Amino acid sequence: MTGSVHALIQGVVLGILTGGVYALMASGQTLIFGIMKVVNLAQGALVVLAAYLSYTLFTSFGLDPLLTIPLTTVIMFGLGVVIQLVFLRPLKREDSAQLSLLVTFAVALLLEGFMSVVWKTTYRSTNTDYANSSWTLLGIQFTVVRVIAFVLSLIALGLLFLLLNRTKFGRAVRATVQNPMSAELLGVESKRVAALGFGLGAATAAAAGSVYGLLYPFNSGSHYDLISELLSIVVLGGLGSVGGAVIAALIVSTSSAVVATVFSPTWSSFTFFVILILVLVLRPQGLYGTVERGAL
Amino acid sequence: MSSGNRLRGIATIAITSAAVLLLTSACAGTASNSTSSSAGTGSSAPSPSTTAPLLIGASVSLTGDFADSGKAVKAGYELWADEVNKKGGILGRQVEMKIVDDTSSPTQVVTNYQNLITQDKVDLVFGPFSSLLTIPASQVVKRYGYAFLEPAGGGPKVFAQKLDNLFFVQPAPVVKSGDVFADWVLSLPKADQPKTAAYAELDDPFSAPIAENIRARFEAAGIQTVYKQVYPAETRDLSPIMTKVAAANPDVLVSGTQSEDAYSQVKSLVQLKFSPKFMYMSNGANSPVEFPSKVGANNVNGIMSAADWYPGSPAPTSPAFVAAYTAKYGGSETDIDPSSAEAYSCGQLVEAVAAKTGKIDNATVISSLHQGTWPTLVGNLSWDAIGQPTGSFSLIQWIDQKLVPVYPAEVSKATPVYPKPNWGG
Repeated sequence: MTGSVHALIQGVVLGILTGGVYALMASGQTLIFGIMKVVNLAQGALVVLAAYLSYTLFTSFGLDPLLTIPLTTVIMFGLGVVIQLVFLRPLKREDSAQLSLLVTFAVALLLEGFMSVVWKTTYRSTNTDYANSSWTLLGIQFTVVRVIAFVLSLIALGLLFLLLNRTKFGRAVRATVQNPMSAELLGVESKRVAALGFGLGAATAAAAGSVYGLLYPFNSGSHYDLISELLSIVVLGGLGSVGGAVIAALIVSTSSAVVATVFSPTWSSFTFFVILILVLVLRPQGLYGTVERGAL
Repeated sequence: MSSGNRLRGIATIAITSAAVLLLTSACAGTASNSTSSSAGTGSSAPSPSTTAPLLIGASVSLTGDFADSGKAVKAGYELWADEVNKKGGILGRQVEMKIVDDTSSPTQVVTNYQNLITQDKVDLVFGPFSSLLTIPASQVVKRYGYAFLEPAGGGPKVFAQKLDNLFFVQPAPVVKSGDVFADWVLSLPKADQPKTAAYAELDDPFSAPIAENIRARFEAAGIQTVYKQVYPAETRDLSPIMTKVAAANPDVLVSGTQSEDAYSQVKSLVQLKFSPKFMYMSNGANSPVEFPSKVGANNVNGIMSAADWYPGSPAPTSPAFVAAYTAKYGGSETDIDPSSAEAYSCGQLVEAVAAKTGKIDNATVISSLHQGTWPTLVGNLSWDAIGQPTGSFSLIQWIDQKLVPVYPAEVSKATPVYPKPNWGG
């Protein structure tokens, strides 16, 4: 195998595995949008907060960041519900979509300030003994953490799918997405669904955050880069479509890894935006979005 | 929905208390900013100017982007003031530091130096943190004819101003900090020298130029460049670049890094199981505590970097500095930020000028420092006409999970280890 072909395959592997992590983060983002038409600019900050939580549980109590995911998921879910109740519920329904941009940005700044007071601004990194290991298969390195992250995303997304499609709550959520007024007439408490839905979106940040901390050094300011990537993924996938977010995450991370490997990292984000623009020109609703409210 | 209301109430309290916490800590910060920190007790009776305290002003970033480094600079200034006052001050005058916060803002820093010089009428000024703030500050300081000893503004644009009152208190301009690695590599027997080199450089005025200087030296010496990549600052994942580095299989990897990109490079290389024979990182690898905690302690061995002050530094005044630092601020030697040592060195220079000339005014400081060599914590310093230090940094290497100076011979405490040991995983 020549060097450049080998590097290309390695780039594709890296991209696909990293895509899993992004899919996890973006699924929460798109879910929140789907349910409430809220563009949650705080999702990146929630991921970073979850990364800090698992970092602290690891460094202070020696708890493995992957094993603490259930715990951080519960915490993040609670926080998500609180954020919805305190900051988003008071918004009037008509202008909530626009206002939510400002409000969730404020929440992101609040979280950022809180995190830089508590954890300072130095970069942190969750360093378990397996954080840097990788498996070699046919000369290609499969980073253990990335493989775990990928599997974890599949599990989390699978659970999310079951929750949305096989439970009463899931049906209420989907009903609210499709037609909030009819749903309410049929006895769905849309306010409760909105709060729980936001909690659910925030909860996906827990698993994403613990993996994020294993993969990259992070500090409280990391959420700015994250949120711009997440928004792009969600738009590419089609706002509100969880499946679309997964596909978009894979496209984004694979194309940027391949371009960075084959050409230059300077071009990788450019390439992605070309794809994004092409998709939006040809299919303005995104890859899997629908023109009308409805799909999730 | 009573439970919802209660939950909402609790949440409101939680959020407001968090906000209050933030506000109070911010206010506390502001309050302490405006107080001048008087190290000595000061004389109670009004005294003639020769025995009045020597007032030294500085603006540092206590909030904002440079807050962490700014606080380290402040710690260095205040520690020096304490120490010099214990020895009876400068020419019998107690030193008083007046330190104000510039919130990491290039406009605030201008106001601050203006106020320090015209309102507070300080006798001398020391510099802020970062080249970004040093440049506007140095213009103000120049206007009033003050000497400008500055510990943290070493970028090319600082010297492009061609100021004769400015002195960068580090051994060499930032872009030349890696030259010591090239010196060492090219001093090796020809057979041991690397034949091929790869360069991974952060697109930042303090990172890429360091690697580029090394590349120019290496290419002139016939070391072939097999890969070079400059990456933008927002590149979080360096795995693709490291994949290319591994595919190019260079003998030496020169990384023009800042901090988190250095950690990411090492992590990626470990995951890709590629370990070059020589590895130099301009920054990130030179922090004794942060680096091993980010990349894993058993992955640091063999990596080289450059430093001016470091734990175990051979500078004669270093042991006393470390003892005073740990006594005042706690912690251990490895917790000391080099920025504190650089700031402390500014004070040492003032002390040395006063001891040599018997005078302490700005004209004397400026004319004295332009001649001769001045020993400080960060090495023996001398400057050219525009304030660029003419020395070189020390080459340091991780050996047995400790940072050790290895080159040049006068600072070396161990033989450089090469080829670099493989990753610990």
